[in-house]
This record gives sequence, C-alpha cells and structure tokens, in this order.
Amino acid sequence: MSRIIDTGLEELSVMLCRMGELTYETVSLSIKGCLNGTSVYSQIHEMSDVLVSMSDQAEDKAFELIARFQPVASDLRTIKSYMKIAYDFARYSRYALDIAYINEQLGGLKECEKWISEYIEKMSEKVLNMVRTSIDALRSHDTQLAKTIAKTEETVDKMYFEYLNKLIEEAPATSKCTISSVLIVRYLERIADHATYICESVIYLATGEKTTLR
Amino acid sequence: MRYKIEIQSLSAWFGSKQVLQDITMRIKENVVTAIIGPSGCGKTTLIRCLNRMHELTPRAKVTGRVLLDGEDIYGENVDPVTVRRRIGMVFQKPNPFPMMSIYDNTVAGLKLNGVTDKKRLDEVVEKSLRAAHLWDEVKSELGKSGASLSGGQQQRLCIARALAIEPEVILMDEPTSALDPTAAAKIEQLIRILAENYTVVIVTHNMQQAARVSDFTAFLYLGKLVEYGSTKDIFENPKSELTEKYITGEFG
Repeated sequence: MSRIIDTGLEELSVMLCRMGELTYETVSLSIKGCLNGTSVYSQIHEMSDVLVSMSDQAEDKAFELIARFQPVASDLRTIKSYMKIAYDFARYSRYALDIAYINEQLGGLKECEKWISEYIEKMSEKVLNMVRTSIDALRSHDTQLAKTIAKTEETVDKMYFEYLNKLIEEAPATSKCTISSVLIVRYLERIADHATYICESVIYLATGEKTTLR
Repeated sequence: MRYKIEIQSLSAWFGSKQVLQDITMRIKENVVTAIIGPSGCGKTTLIRCLNRMHELTPRAKVTGRVLLDGEDIYGENVDPVTVRRRIGMVFQKPNPFPMMSIYDNTVAGLKLNGVTDKKRLDEVVEKSLRAAHLWDEVKSELGKSGASLSGGQQQRLCIARALAIEPEVILMDEPTSALDPTAAAKIEQLIRILAENYTVVIVTHNMQQAARVSDFTAFLYLGKLVEYGSTKDIFENPKSELTEKYITGEFG
C-alpha cells in the first residue's frame, strides 16, 4: 500500500520533468535563434510565461505537501530540492528569454565575425548538454550522472573567461557584436550554473549530502 | 553540555521475553530527549528502567547499568524510592487521585514523605502549579477535586505533582496521547519550558511531536536502539534506512 504523500510527490515529480523538457526546448530554441539570426522572441516569451506559471504551481504543490503531510527525512529533502529545482528551471527560461531579447534588439551573432559565432556555438553545445544532464539526473534521481556535471561546469567557466580575454585581444568590428556576444556568453554561463545547482539538489535529495559541484 | 544519564548495555525482560537488547546511550542534561518507535519496541520499558519502575512488574528483570550523575541507580546500596524521587514520571493517561483536591494532589508525594508544615506545603503547591502553568487556572479553587479538571489540566496537575518532589529528571510516557490537540499543544509548550531546569525524556508515538519538542531523538525497533542523534539530523537526514522507513511512515 503506497503512502498518501507518494501520490503528491509523484505529481510534483511529473510536473518538474515536464518543466525540464520545456526548459530544454526553450534554451535550445533561443540559442538556435541567435546563432541563425532568426527571430524567436515571441515564441520564447510564451514558453517562458508557461514555465514561470509551472514553477509557481510546483511551489504551491510543495507547500501543500508540507502543510498536509509534515514530511520528514527523504520526503522533506525531496520537496525542498524540488522547490529549488523549479526555481532553477524558471531561471533557465529567463536566461533563454534574455538571449532571445538580445537577438531581437542587437541582431544576435549574425553580424559578428565567424570565430565568435563558432566559439559561442561550441560553448552553447556544452551548456545544452549540462541542461540535459540536469534533467536526466533529476528524472531518475541519478547521483552518479549528477556528479558528472562538475567537469563541464569547469569547462564552461573557463570558456567564459577565455572569451572575455579573447574579445579584448581581438576586438570585433562592431560594438553591437561586442555587447550581444558578451551578454550571450554571460547568460550561457548562468544557465550552466543553474544546471549545476540542479545536480547538487539531486544529490541532496537522494543522499542528504550537501555537495558543491562548482 | 554534560550527560545526566548514561545507559550502559541495558537489557530488560518480562519473564523469558526479552524486550530490550543491549541499549547504550547517553542523555544530556537539561534537554528534551524523545524515544520513538513502533508499538512494542520497548520504549516504555526503556524509560521505566530509568527510574527502576520496570522491576515493579512481576517476573521483570534488568541487566546493565544506568548511571545518574555518574552513579549506578542499580547499585547495591541504592534505594529505588530515592531514585524515583530524583527521576519523576508522568503517564499516558492523566491520573490525579480522584478523591483528592487539586491542592492535595499537588503535594501528595510530599505528604507521603511526611511533610506537614502548612506554610511549606502552600509554597510548594503554588510553585509547582506555576511551573506546570496551571496556577492561574486553578488558584481560586484549590479545594476542588482534581478529577473535576479538564483532561489537559489534569495532565498538567500530574506534572505539578511530579515537580513538587523536586526531581532532576522527568520521564513522560506518551503524555499527550489522551488529550485533544489544544491541550496537547499546551503540554508540548510546557515540556520546552521544563527543559530549562530539568532533563526531560519523553516517549511518544507521535513523530511530529518528537520533531517539535525534542532536542535529541532515539529510534527503537524490536528492543534495539537503531539510531540516536540530534532531532534535526534524525528528521532531515537519518543514517539508518530503518529509521527513514519508520519516520516517513513506510511501516510501523
């Protein structure tokens, strides 16, 4: 016989997995937009609104479970982590929206030199992989998978600072490109941070261990 | 923080049935320690061993040591009555003496010990009822029967009666399980206040109560101590899978 709280935890878990998939689509679409120079802002805006509302719903559900079941131990850790993760997902979509906005306002990376778009494409592939890892680790509460994110996080961080240095050395032709590319790598780096937070939350909910993967 | 009670390899039996197996734990002074576990796990027996009440049951047996301030309460020359005076007990069902007034209930222990001085008794009645947070509710009707009080008030009267003997440790065996939620909440608040001056050990099968009132929690299962630690650790991140399963309601 399953416990009454299990139904609620399952609902919350399903809600988060759905959020995860939608955030992946959102982040991936916004990156594609700025790399190809296509306008995706209104589409991302809609997706982002849905994600914010899903994040609120997840938080409400978590509060309800706390109020009704006074969860302890792994139940409590799961709920706490799910609340944090829902927020992290909402942040993914916020940065995706920011990237789409830059693309809309400054023309993304299409006006930049080739090395810049290639560099950012490479960095965004790594970040998208991290987003995928965070979602998959969450779905199966896979702590081993969660731990693997630390290495990519380090690479993305390095790439971020390396890019800033390169920009100083090889100043792009237009200031538009300088601004848009700096903001985009910054947002990508922040998305990577949130992917790492999600993996830390997965480890915490599964083991109670508070780890830093950064 | 020093240890008030040290339980060393304590085992207990009812006839041939062993109910506690080799329990070793140290209870800190002036904190609330909760003992939790499913029915029949030995939690009541454990606290009854702490003030030598277990041996009052026919064919009951205890081995091991229980040190109170470093001295074994099962030592050769120790008088169990003296132990019980230092370690008071409050039971599941409020049990004031029904034929006695509130006043007489409060000082029943003192009177049994031969105290007759009216002034002294008056002082103890007020002090104990105040400490049990009952004084304001009963001060104008101390002559009324203890049985006329509500369940929650009766339980606080029993706590006052235990406090009147000036114990150092208070054992509570499911002290709120016969009370309504409001009365239970008052007892829980009182337990927190009592811990400022007394060492409190509470047996409860209400896990949320243990989480609310205690500083340390011990989980007993089938007569064994499975896990003992800070209440925060036990309820956030228990080490034993058995503890996890019990407190999250997977069994019990």
